[in-house]
Amino acid sequence: MNRLRLWLLAVGGAGLAALLVAACLDLPGFGGRRHPYGDRAVQASLARHTANTISSVNFDQRAYDTLGEMSILFAAVLGCVVLLRQARDEHRDRPEPAEVARPVRRYALLVLPVALVTGLYVVAHGQLSPGGGFQGGVVAATALHLLYLGADYGALERVRPLGVYETSDAVAVCAYLVLGLASVLAGTAFLANTLLPYGTFNTLSSGGTVPLLNAAIGMEVASAVVVLLAHFLDQAVEIEEEQGS
Amino acid sequence: MSDAVIVVVLLLVAACATAAVVQRDPARQALVLSVLGVLLAALFTVLQAPDVGLSQLAVGSALTPLLIMLCVRKIRRRGRPKEDAR
Amino acid sequence: MNGWILAATVALGGGGAAVLWGVTTGPPARRVIAQNLATSAVCPALLLLSQGYGRPAYVDLALLLALLGPVGTLVFARLLCDDLSEEGASAWALTWTAAGLGAAAVVALCVAVGPGRAMVKLLVVGALLISGNVIASRALAGGFRGVRGG
Repeated sequence: MNRLRLWLLAVGGAGLAALLVAACLDLPGFGGRRHPYGDRAVQASLARHTANTISSVNFDQRAYDTLGEMSILFAAVLGCVVLLRQARDEHRDRPEPAEVARPVRRYALLVLPVALVTGLYVVAHGQLSPGGGFQGGVVAATALHLLYLGADYGALERVRPLGVYETSDAVAVCAYLVLGLASVLAGTAFLANTLLPYGTFNTLSSGGTVPLLNAAIGMEVASAVVVLLAHFLDQAVEIEEEQGS
Repeated sequence: MSDAVIVVVLLLVAACATAAVVQRDPARQALVLSVLGVLLAALFTVLQAPDVGLSQLAVGSALTPLLIMLCVRKIRRRGRPKEDAR
Repeated sequence: MNGWILAATVALGGGGAAVLWGVTTGPPARRVIAQNLATSAVCPALLLLSQGYGRPAYVDLALLLALLGPVGTLVFARLLCDDLSEEGASAWALTWTAAGLGAAAVVALCVAVGPGRAMVKLLVVGALLISGNVIASRALAGGFRGVRGG
């Protein structure tokens, strides 16, 4: 039986290796300067006054893909919320207050607003420089958890009404869909970037709907990460199994 | 010659990823993983993909370690008797 | 290949190898210190690369790393405080050396870009990097001693 399993692994591995080698032989050269798809993507993004071509691909030319990625994150967080809920044989303890050294606490409280602003900056400049909704949203959500690191879980819970974040997660997903449907109502295709004027190249208000979609993604990711971490923190800090179970 | 930086970072990433797999203790794995995240961000930068590098930095430097370490803490606490956890 | 990229290669190669060695061997205290030094080795390298490639937008990467790298170290310092409290993890000589490296890179870049908005951004990154590095070292050296259970 063991030998059979090894053979199966060997055959599968050999097949995978052969396929990978065949695929690698057909790849374009490493680090080439020209690529047929790249040239077309850059042309399209320049035509729509979006300085960051990656954002143009993510939120304009392939905005439908981003919708799929957003639903993956939404569904994953939903699954975690269901799995990590408080079970019947568990109970909640108050988190113990923690004594953190003063310089560390001051640093956390000082960096928290800086990190929040950086997150918003990364979201807002998604169409101009590297970054966008996902990156900025994660940074903003991480910033909030400096309260847990610099003080204690009770302090974080006071500024984090979980219901608000759950609602804003859903609202952001809806906003993305509504923006897509709006272009259908305007007479073009779903999520086509034809609603708004393209603006002046390389300014904050350029790129048509790209900044709006970026903002929706930023809100979705930030709330999703906060909700996800909240359930992990609840499990790690507050929820205890009943004795004798 | 200008590819030297790419070679250096690629070698570092390969070594770090191997080290992360070889570690046995989850907490130590998380430490190596967070270093791997930073190195990967450098690799994406030298390959001229700063967007991907930013995503890697945002997720890998604080969020992933926090999730892993919270899980480790929960599991360790469950292993101990209740009075001892206090 | 220009001088900036060469300097970044040296910082990445030397710092990266040292960090890798520190984070994979030895007691937990040493591993956490090495994890903290990863930020201070790679962040200046990212700044140098952005100057070497002539792309000011790449400074955002260094900004994010300078912000979030110390936060990651604080996570480990807080959730591993039981393992760290026995031995105590202080490495002030290393910390200040790394801070000096970061400061040197920021000063060199400031001279290169000249006064303006880009210089302000560089100074913000430098301040965040050095203060974050020092505070994370402080946290590792017993900043979370009063934390239990929470």
